Amino acid sequence: MSLEWANMYSAFGPAYNPHTIISDQKEPIDQELRVAGGSSGGSAAAVASGMCFASLGSDTGGSIRLPASYCGVIGFKPSYGQCSRWGLVAYASSLDTVGIITRNVHDAQLIYDIISKYDEKDPSSLPPKLRSINSSLASFDKTNSNFTDLSKLRVGIPQEYYVSELSDPIKSLWKRGISLLRSYGATIVSVSCPSTRYALPAYYILAPAEASSNLARYDGVRYGHRSDMDSKQDEKLLYTHTRSEGFGEEVKRRILLGTYTLTAGSYNNYFIYAQRIRKMVQSDFDYVFRRPNPLHLVKNESSFCNCNNDEIFEISNKLRKESHGVDVIITPVAISTSPKVKDSLSSSFLSNSDNTKSLDDSFVNAYVNDVFTIPANLAGIPAISVPFGISPIDGFPIGLQLMTQYGDEHTLFYISKVLENNK
Amino acid sequence: MIIKTFVTTYLKKTCNERFISKIKRNVTFYQYSTHLYKSNKWETIIGLEVHAQLNSKTKLFSSSSTSFNEPVNTNVSVIDAAFPGTLPQLNTKCVELAVAASLALSGNVQLVSSFDRKQYFYPDLPPGYQITQHYAPISLGGKIFLNQLDGLEYDTMVRIKQIQLEQDTGKSIHDIVPGMTLIDLNRAGTGLIEIVTEPDMRTSKEAGLTVKKLQSILRTIGSSDGNMEEGSLRCDVNVSVHEHETPYGTRCEIKNLNSIKFLMAAIDVEIERQIKELENGNKIVQETRGFDVLKNKTFRLRTKETATDYRYMPEPDLSPLILNKDYITRISNNLPELPDDLKTRIMKQYGIPLHDVIVLMNETGGVKYFEEAVKNRNPQHVSNWITHELFGLLHARNIKFSQNPVSALQLGSVIDCVDNGDITGKVGKKIIEKMISGDSRLASIIIQDEGLRQLSDINELEKICKNVILQNPEQVIHYFCFDIYFLNLLKTLFCYCS
Repeated sequence: MSLEWANMYSAFGPAYNPHTIISDQKEPIDQELRVAGGSSGGSAAAVASGMCFASLGSDTGGSIRLPASYCGVIGFKPSYGQCSRWGLVAYASSLDTVGIITRNVHDAQLIYDIISKYDEKDPSSLPPKLRSINSSLASFDKTNSNFTDLSKLRVGIPQEYYVSELSDPIKSLWKRGISLLRSYGATIVSVSCPSTRYALPAYYILAPAEASSNLARYDGVRYGHRSDMDSKQDEKLLYTHTRSEGFGEEVKRRILLGTYTLTAGSYNNYFIYAQRIRKMVQSDFDYVFRRPNPLHLVKNESSFCNCNNDEIFEISNKLRKESHGVDVIITPVAISTSPKVKDSLSSSFLSNSDNTKSLDDSFVNAYVNDVFTIPANLAGIPAISVPFGISPIDGFPIGLQLMTQYGDEHTLFYISKVLENNK
Repeated sequence: MIIKTFVTTYLKKTCNERFISKIKRNVTFYQYSTHLYKSNKWETIIGLEVHAQLNSKTKLFSSSSTSFNEPVNTNVSVIDAAFPGTLPQLNTKCVELAVAASLALSGNVQLVSSFDRKQYFYPDLPPGYQITQHYAPISLGGKIFLNQLDGLEYDTMVRIKQIQLEQDTGKSIHDIVPGMTLIDLNRAGTGLIEIVTEPDMRTSKEAGLTVKKLQSILRTIGSSDGNMEEGSLRCDVNVSVHEHETPYGTRCEIKNLNSIKFLMAAIDVEIERQIKELENGNKIVQETRGFDVLKNKTFRLRTKETATDYRYMPEPDLSPLILNKDYITRISNNLPELPDDLKTRIMKQYGIPLHDVIVLMNETGGVKYFEEAVKNRNPQHVSNWITHELFGLLHARNIKFSQNPVSALQLGSVIDCVDNGDITGKVGKKIIEKMISGDSRLASIIIQDEGLRQLSDINELEKICKNVILQNPEQVIHYFCFDIYFLNLLKTLFCYCS
């Protein structure tokens, strides 16, 4: 049985974090209602509360991993192009990724194996040829089968993720995760992703721009809400009324922002710059990981397409051994634990507040929550949020994020299981 | 009356020949002809933007079928209607047709091209954006040559700037229900190629002939039906005037022209309007205008003063289109004979005049049909039967030539019977009408079955005639009297003329 859950934040109010209710922690937990996170908060809450075995969500900038971390469940975002986007309401086409929320890694992998198939209806779906090349590439999971011996594993800690906004419980949990991997023999390496600090602003140029385009179709003409207000004097009013009534405040905000960055004067200054930063973020990861990126391999060496699987494995294994890169990166998922409902909602009371300065801050603060999750979307690499502990301050779950090279989901699942078994 | 027409036809023929031979002696190749300086002062600069619907069975990014005049909203898929969660799927046939068009127009097919979104809100554009190729179109450059074979007295060339693939919009119908606009999405998503020319045309005739040439080329290669009346070819024209040796003037765009005749008329009145404005000391405002056929004037369309910002954005759902040289070579090798080559060859090989060839070429498949029917027959006869009789009969019944039920074999059999004297031309025409109605028999069989054979045996004919005369004595007397009068009339006329 599959449950459908619409996280209708605007219509029915916020999706609450079920940990408030179901937690059996001995330490006192804060009883005020917390949010489930966004935007797949409903899916995460459903899985966390036991309503269903698994749920699907979409991760554009962290919207599966963030609620998974808040609710204490697994939130898995595959590589871009692995799972078909046909049927997924488009937000930002080049960033949207269908992802899976489950209570454990095994379930996530089960569902993933079923849904990660080539779909000809999705032009961005990874073609069969590339899938085949990808599965022939050498990676950590192929060289290891013992979950307690990680001596061949190289783990990267990106320095740029150690930001001042990180709360202490998160910092200590991150350290605990690193120690765990080290205790199994993994080599811990400090790595650098210099473009990280630009990733957040680049994302908030690109995603709203694409969203403003993808949301243009909601005009009430062919389906959905259509305004009852009179639009006889001017045909444009039908659109104006329908869209003003139908979209929530945050959506309208992002559409306006996105439309602005695409206007003729801004395009070169914002949109093009953001695309360049995105390329830089991608090459940061290509430099950091030792497994080659199959997409770039095929692009740069077309002879690769004619090799058989063994040849591909040999070539990539050689590249992998020569590289000083790492197999996996471990970082936090969010800056804090799940925020309180009243703190999240304050940003939407636009008209009622007198203090505009704090309002601007609160919008931007909400965006800052995505700083750890966004780079994986910009680069299209797989990432997972694994629940690893509970905050000693408020008793709410904290997740750790693992990221691997494009197409290296198997290594990701492997290391996630190690963390999961020892949380 | 007969003599008058005879005299004028004779004069016309010799004059034309003399004129053409004069041109042949003195012809210079005008790159962009500067003909028709209006009162030796003004030069007209004309450019075209042509949208041609591609002749694919399904649309550019969805598998719903393309259509013409089908019941409204019957060929619309969820992709065309921009339902949530839908994604475009490129139709490779459209790419083929676009590449063929580029090659036929001597363009450079770009090995890498990409798609972009042109964004604006309008009810007949379901997604709120049109997928086009703004930054990197599929073809750059190209040219169209015009000369006597096309009906121009001199030679000229029109350069093509680019050819790009794009989607067509749906149709908005404003005048059926008062106060409402009805939307038909059958056309939404159909593949188009937009062909943009450089502003190389200098007269309305050149523009008209360019469009005609383009239609002919597109029809020959099968990329498009190129029919302005049906909407498979739409032209927007840009017109400006300037005094000789001054910079180009501000141009105005004229849209919604649905025939070549109107296109040329619109250009002419627009030139007049612009010259008048400038001579009065006014400036030309850059705007989009329509053409009022009845008033023979252009008028400003209900548009904004400032140019629309379409917020072009690379289409994130589609990766760049990468073609390899082999693919292009294959299409190039499969291109049929192009119009100029075809015209020259048919005229030479069969000895029929240019006009006939043009009429045959105007129908898709017309030349092929002719070449089949002409085997072992008199080419001029075959051409006449097709162009004068068959085309006319089909047209009268509103049957497109592509749906012509009369096979070349059948037509050939009719021609044979007429040429043999078995039947008259009139009866032949009737037989063709039968064939159009669905009779699939050959002419010889029909004649046999229905006893239509013409009597040509003199003795038999004499017998029948004598019989008729004997049975109708009054009519015979009337005829003889009239005959003498007519003879006298002729004699007088001849004396008068000589």
